[in-house]
Amino acid sequence: MAVLTAPERRSPARPPVSGRRARGPRRTPPLVLAFVLVPLLAEALWVFWPALQGFYLALTKWDGVSPPQFVGLDNFREMAHDDVFRSAAGHTVLWLVLFGGLSAVLGLAAALLLQQERRGVGFYRAALFLPVVFSLVATALVWQAIYQPDGVLNRLLDTVGLGSLRHAWLADQDTALYAVIVPALWRQIGYVMVLYLAGLKGIDPVLYEAAKVDGASALQRFRHVTLPQLRGVNAVVLSVIVIDSLRSFDVVWSLTRGGPYHSSELLSTYMYSTAFQSLRLGYGSALAVVIFVLAFGVIASYLVRAFREAD
Amino acid sequence: MATSQTSRRRFLTGVGAAGTAALLGGCVTSASSGKGSSKGAVTLQSNLSAPQAKAAMEDLVAAYAKKGSGRADLNTVAAETFRTQLPTYLTSANPPDVYTWYPGSVADAYAKKNLLLGLDEVWNSSPDLKRYTKALHSLCTASSGKKVFVPNTYYWWGMFYRKSDFAKWGVSEPTSWDGLLDLCDKLKSRGVTPIGLGAGGNTPWVASAWFDYLDIRINGAQYHRELLAGKHRFDDPEVRKVFDRWREVLPYFDPNGTAVAFQDATTALLNGRSGMMLIGTFFADAAPKSALDDIDFFRFPVIDSKVPLAEEAPVDGYFASARSGRRDQVFHLLKYLATAEAQEIYIKGSSGTVLPCNPDAKDAGTALVKKGRAHVAAAAEITQFFNRDSSDALQPTADTALTRFLAEPKSIGGILTDWQRDAEKIWNA
Repeated sequence: MAVLTAPERRSPARPPVSGRRARGPRRTPPLVLAFVLVPLLAEALWVFWPALQGFYLALTKWDGVSPPQFVGLDNFREMAHDDVFRSAAGHTVLWLVLFGGLSAVLGLAAALLLQQERRGVGFYRAALFLPVVFSLVATALVWQAIYQPDGVLNRLLDTVGLGSLRHAWLADQDTALYAVIVPALWRQIGYVMVLYLAGLKGIDPVLYEAAKVDGASALQRFRHVTLPQLRGVNAVVLSVIVIDSLRSFDVVWSLTRGGPYHSSELLSTYMYSTAFQSLRLGYGSALAVVIFVLAFGVIASYLVRAFREAD
Repeated sequence: MATSQTSRRRFLTGVGAAGTAALLGGCVTSASSGKGSSKGAVTLQSNLSAPQAKAAMEDLVAAYAKKGSGRADLNTVAAETFRTQLPTYLTSANPPDVYTWYPGSVADAYAKKNLLLGLDEVWNSSPDLKRYTKALHSLCTASSGKKVFVPNTYYWWGMFYRKSDFAKWGVSEPTSWDGLLDLCDKLKSRGVTPIGLGAGGNTPWVASAWFDYLDIRINGAQYHRELLAGKHRFDDPEVRKVFDRWREVLPYFDPNGTAVAFQDATTALLNGRSGMMLIGTFFADAAPKSALDDIDFFRFPVIDSKVPLAEEAPVDGYFASARSGRRDQVFHLLKYLATAEAQEIYIKGSSGTVLPCNPDAKDAGTALVKKGRAHVAAAAEITQFFNRDSSDALQPTADTALTRFLAEPKSIGGILTDWQRDAEKIWNA
């Protein structure tokens, strides 16, 4: 997991280092240097070093007990022929699209709906944000009870006359993945909503006034004022969604452990189970490297593009 | 900007090189060879985190301290954390001294890597351990011939049911496989789910009990152990026979068998919604006291009378780290844990459905426990359970294969091929 958190933490550390150095190392006051170097050292010890270890372990065969054996790229070669890896990657993409797409769209919708200061709007905002406060494991426990064969969902279906749809939601390979996405989404929407609310607050009302005067309809105002103005927030939301999708683990693990028979397996759960259940830490690290490359690749390419446009 | 970039990059490379060097030097990934501290109380790392079991361990440690000849510090860790951290504990430079864990192939795997303290001295000097059964002696011996484990208690698996419910439905214990199928038929016609499973939620491993039992009944305990050790293949015809039998009884399984955890499945059993369940006695920990006297069990029916009778009776106990600096204190504690007194204290404090390994120790004395003791004693061979007879790493491969079999029994051929492929990855890891 250390590998996964690395890109998030690394980015804030970057600007101070390059920014201060640019003025010339000789003129840097020692205090500033200390402010830069001490966190960097801590960062190196707690983030870079474990991450590098992860990269090294990805090239080994290791059971966690005996010394690791260097095997070159064998782990990655195995991955190419691993059906479970392929289906986990597919599920992760599906997760990214459904979980990411829906949480962005619904989060934005909720933010637009709740941006006006009306009486009681704070209550709704708080209600939507509340799931973010709960730990995902606790959330998962609640949803597990909802999905039980004689749980709330099935009883609800019975009462509305849809008893034929009754289902062991988490135990059926056709529904397990979607059943797991719902609680994750339930939580993420509130989070994305808050990000967008902040973004909407930052839009100058004068722009809307001007558009109105020019005769723009509500839809046109949204399309030509709101969306372009939210570009900065979109970058943040995209990064958050990609990172959260790729590291989505707790909710899946608590609800299905990637089962039944790998039907809700994500790259993250597959990595955990190979590393810590099958005790194949080398292969698990190789999976972690793949996740890291995916997350970092997507985010870096987006950020580079976003900054280039900003310049 | 350019200079700053290169200097930063150079710095990072430096950090990276230093990190790699330290890594290759073996700070984290290879075994360090320090000895633990030699002073103070023996640390006892326990995975018994269920409230009753934890309290029982606390009683035990308190009783040991009262004797005045030594002290132990109990450190109870959540079972799942304990399982994943155990390799780290054992390879760390200053490890806890004594651990609760399993004998047999699980302990042997660590013994082969020289991580376990040899306990021959304990076994030779303890008057209690000398009197333990032969089966326990061999179970606690590593493949090197050294003793590495001190057993504490054991429990058994069986087909559990409620006496009052069986009386109400007018049925009785079956003694043969066909008798079991008849019983299931009768229960089904009365609208009761004949067989509860509980392999959903986070307890998919419960399904392995059916695989274990069918395999030891059809192919025998010897074959079963060899299969789990990788000496046979999961796609062999012998294994196929196990699943053919299973399919005969599969229509009587709870259709929600893979959707609910065993705790919910046993609740259904206790409420009379399902007829019986193949389960270990640990399920009784959560049963209401009033139901305990009503619980009974029967032997998993014999299928082939030529196969020596085997039962699943997992043993729990202790091993010690080879890096412990408190060798003498560890030996002293383990000798105490092997006494009848210690095991009686534990049984009294816990739910009381486990049996002591010490032949002189008294069990909880209930009819159920007495029957269980005789049940295990009658067996010619004892198996431990799927993960204990193989490894925790092999268990998920079984979970995947068996859950899939329960959902798609017709694709058994492909399931067994996949199982073999997954298992090979574990055996070769």
